[in-house]
Amino acid sequence: MSRFVLRLAWRETRGAWRHFGYFFACITLGVSALVGVGSFADNLERTVARSAKSLMGGDVEIRSTQPLPPPSSPDGVAVTRVRELVAMAQAGPALTQLVELKAVEPGYPFYGALVTDPARPLETLIGEGRALVHESLLARLGLRVGDRFRVGQAELTVAGVILKEPDRAVGVFSLGPRVMIAASDLDRTGLVRPGSRVRYRTLFRLPEGADASVFRDRLAEGLPAAQRVTTYTQAQPGLRRFWDQLTMYLGLTGLVALMVGGIGVAVSVSAFVKEKLPTIAIMKALGAGWRPLLAAYLLQTALLGLGGSLAGALLGSLVQPLLAPTLTRLLPIELQLSFSLRAVLGGVAMGVGVTLLYALWPLLQIRRVPPALILRHEVEPRLLGRRPWAAAAPIAAGLAALALWQAGSWKIGALFAGGLAGALLLLALGARGVIALARRVRWRAPAWRQGAANLHRPGSHAGPVLVSLGLAVMLVVSIALLESSLRSQLVDRTPGQAPAFFFIDIQPDQAEPFAALVAGHGADAPAELTPVVRSRLAAVNGAPVTQGEKTRREEAWYLTREYVLTWAARPPGHNTVVAGHWWTPAEAAREPLISVEEEIARQLGVGLGDTLTFDIQGVPVSARVTSLRHVDWRSLASNFFVIFSPGALEGAPTTFIATVRARPEREPALQSAVVGAFPNVTAIPVREVLERVAAVLDQIALAVRLVAAFSIGAGLIVMAGALAITRKQRLYQSVILKALGATRGFVSRVFAVEYALLGAAAGVAGSALAAGLAWAVLRWAFDVPWQWAPGTLAAGVLAATGLALLVGVLGTRRLLGRRPLGVLRSE
Amino acid sequence: MISVSSLSMRLTSGGRAVDVLTDVSLEVPAGQFVAIAGPSGSGKSTLLGLIAGLDQPTGGRIEVGGVTITGLDEDALARFRGDHVGYVFQSFHLIPTLTALENVAVPLELAGQGDADARAAALLTEVGLAERAHHYPVQLSGGEQQRVAVARALARRPPLLLADEPTGNLDSATGKQIIELLVGANRRLGSTLVLVTHDAALAAHADRVVTLRDGRIVSDE
Repeated sequence: MSRFVLRLAWRETRGAWRHFGYFFACITLGVSALVGVGSFADNLERTVARSAKSLMGGDVEIRSTQPLPPPSSPDGVAVTRVRELVAMAQAGPALTQLVELKAVEPGYPFYGALVTDPARPLETLIGEGRALVHESLLARLGLRVGDRFRVGQAELTVAGVILKEPDRAVGVFSLGPRVMIAASDLDRTGLVRPGSRVRYRTLFRLPEGADASVFRDRLAEGLPAAQRVTTYTQAQPGLRRFWDQLTMYLGLTGLVALMVGGIGVAVSVSAFVKEKLPTIAIMKALGAGWRPLLAAYLLQTALLGLGGSLAGALLGSLVQPLLAPTLTRLLPIELQLSFSLRAVLGGVAMGVGVTLLYALWPLLQIRRVPPALILRHEVEPRLLGRRPWAAAAPIAAGLAALALWQAGSWKIGALFAGGLAGALLLLALGARGVIALARRVRWRAPAWRQGAANLHRPGSHAGPVLVSLGLAVMLVVSIALLESSLRSQLVDRTPGQAPAFFFIDIQPDQAEPFAALVAGHGADAPAELTPVVRSRLAAVNGAPVTQGEKTRREEAWYLTREYVLTWAARPPGHNTVVAGHWWTPAEAAREPLISVEEEIARQLGVGLGDTLTFDIQGVPVSARVTSLRHVDWRSLASNFFVIFSPGALEGAPTTFIATVRARPEREPALQSAVVGAFPNVTAIPVREVLERVAAVLDQIALAVRLVAAFSIGAGLIVMAGALAITRKQRLYQSVILKALGATRGFVSRVFAVEYALLGAAAGVAGSALAAGLAWAVLRWAFDVPWQWAPGTLAAGVLAATGLALLVGVLGTRRLLGRRPLGVLRSE
Repeated sequence: MISVSSLSMRLTSGGRAVDVLTDVSLEVPAGQFVAIAGPSGSGKSTLLGLIAGLDQPTGGRIEVGGVTITGLDEDALARFRGDHVGYVFQSFHLIPTLTALENVAVPLELAGQGDADARAAALLTEVGLAERAHHYPVQLSGGEQQRVAVARALARRPPLLLADEPTGNLDSATGKQIIELLVGANRRLGSTLVLVTHDAALAAHADRVVTLRDGRIVSDE
């Protein structure tokens, strides 16, 4: 790089700080959003990795839904077993509560600490009918330490409270408070019967220095496919997937803020170039080529982008503790927040990249400045040649590459980049329409006429302001729309739409008395009892599902998951046969047939005529696929991936599940009656579970909104920056109006109208796009119907108008007091 | 029409106080055409601006049409200008956002006149710019812009017309047209016309020539 370029870059930056304040702020805000989210994600990942062993409770784990034989433990390897199930705790005739029961053996946990109150060794707190419980159970059942309660057929005494449990992947998705007992006491509850829903875990602690993955592979060789063997590095895969996705979407939300800020950069640089046209023309007249000039200004831009990004990285690192508390409530582990170099470097690279890409377009104008410009004085100087369209494609590609990098996924990154490009295009078209309309409409009120005229004035920044603010509005409003639609889907169901309870683990001999009991205790309709058989997928078209297959396809959840099977003579409600046909009684009598849900069929790669084999507690059962079904999962009925023809599962260990509808005020009595009569039956209160999911959704939405707020901030800075750039014109306009007899009130109304119109237009365009986006996401990602939310959309428009008005009023307030004479004479 | 007494104006520029006007007193009866002459920097334009209420003097008193404008607040001054004063600037000062027609209509709109557009069109026809009505200032020549500015100044038939070197940026032929328009208004509407110029030939058209030097009146004839 030549000395000329370096010196020019320095000189032009030296005097231009005033000019680039907003540029700087735009990048700072965008990068701080990214670094805030990135640091959080990085710390989360590090904390999870650090506590991986305690998250699992061992080095290696076997998980199964079927009883595990007592493991043989090689030399130096310690083994312990854990069983987990949901059950009902009962503290009196009217006090029952769904709990997550966990039975442990001596040795548990191998890693991490179980913190209890009183702080005594675990073996002194459980066993012989003693139980540790989570504090919330005490409150719900009105118990104190030392009190008794029942689980199943066992009477238990509260021996203490669990303060911290290392391997509970909770918070987010638990069904109820924890009750921890000794393995020997679980058998007394009578809850573990054939067909009960129990998760069996065997934990191994390896000697110091042993390779967990080698041990894992050796262990897996001798085990059937239905048993999942993992090392601590794969601990809590569901938890990790959840957080990976959440932080990815938060990161992309942050990227929108940076993209909005990029528009601010483009506006600033474009105004700067315009101001520098005479300088550039003089340089060219003195013999400078466009390349060194472009290089100098690009270097200057990069330096400013770097400065803004570094400030953003600092701010983002400081913001992280703000973001974290909204999310850590969903975490089972204590998050240690620290400075993340990775997030800072990534954010700075992103900030500089976005700066350069957005600045390149206006900077390329340098090439088109004619040296002859110094001979003329023109209001709108005519530049040479055409706009540099050839550069548009690489710029767009560069921005898309940044989005892919941030997303870390081709599919999501491409969707994001495509969506962003589409939104920008639509907003740009919308801005053109608004500007054309402002020119066309004849307002009656003079202040309105003047204000609207400001939108299409030569040199107006209405276009970029509309696009950037519109983009920010779109983001925030679409989040609000998604949240409200999902929330109402979960919570605002009218009674009768969703069942009040799912009852599970009803034994075959309990089915009839259960139905009678429910009918006598205020259920709105007879209980719908469905037989279920728990199984694992053993083979697809005769090819066994092996351990090897599972490790190759880590995400092959559908191969290893538990399949809950049922049988039916007719297709259940909310199910539509989309391929093949439902069996006739004659067909069902000939051979075992199955109907498979369409999505899982696609995942398994099976179609009509294919054969699936299920392992039902050691017995293989094969059946031919004769139909594919579409299931409306929103129905909250008991739905099944796989339904057998009647008779095919005869003899398999069967339990019943029941859905019961009841009015909310009758729910507690109904639950207590069922638990009192059938201690082994578990009641899952649907409304409570949905409310808990909604609460999680609220937490997530809060975090997302927090990050999205950065976009609004960036949009407002773009607006304030555009205002600052046009300050001179505005001052000029205001003093002429005053010279002609306009009061300060009139002039401020003119600016208010201009900014209110800008805000309203951005609000309308952004909200309209948000509605489209939310509709698409709900339709394709969540399969939830779009809910018309006029209030949210109106709030988007009003808030955008109000904020824009505020920026306009604050930004022009100082102009109003200026006396005309001095300003007019200096012009 | 205009009564200026003991007017002084002190400006600070670059930390140094400059007396732009010192103890200026002047009476202008209604309907008179007065030229204010003097070399550049003598304070002519400042005097004109103060008479229009575009700024406040540091001392003295100005009365226009029976209204004491010194001491009025910003908004009262603005209303005064709208109602009493038509001002023509050396560098036109049209609003770049608005077409010629819209520029002329602004004072009428500010006064809440319903037929602003029609009146503005008529005024543009008077200054010979009927067919340029929908052009923006940048699309007009200097002379055309100044004719639009004159039409704007005349829009509300103000009793007082002030013109600050209205021909200073124009060639002599175009300048002549502008002077004819202003003098015509002075004669036809009976408006008092105060014109700042350093062009002796132009000043010769006036009923009276007041000459300033270093912020003081040095002759009045």
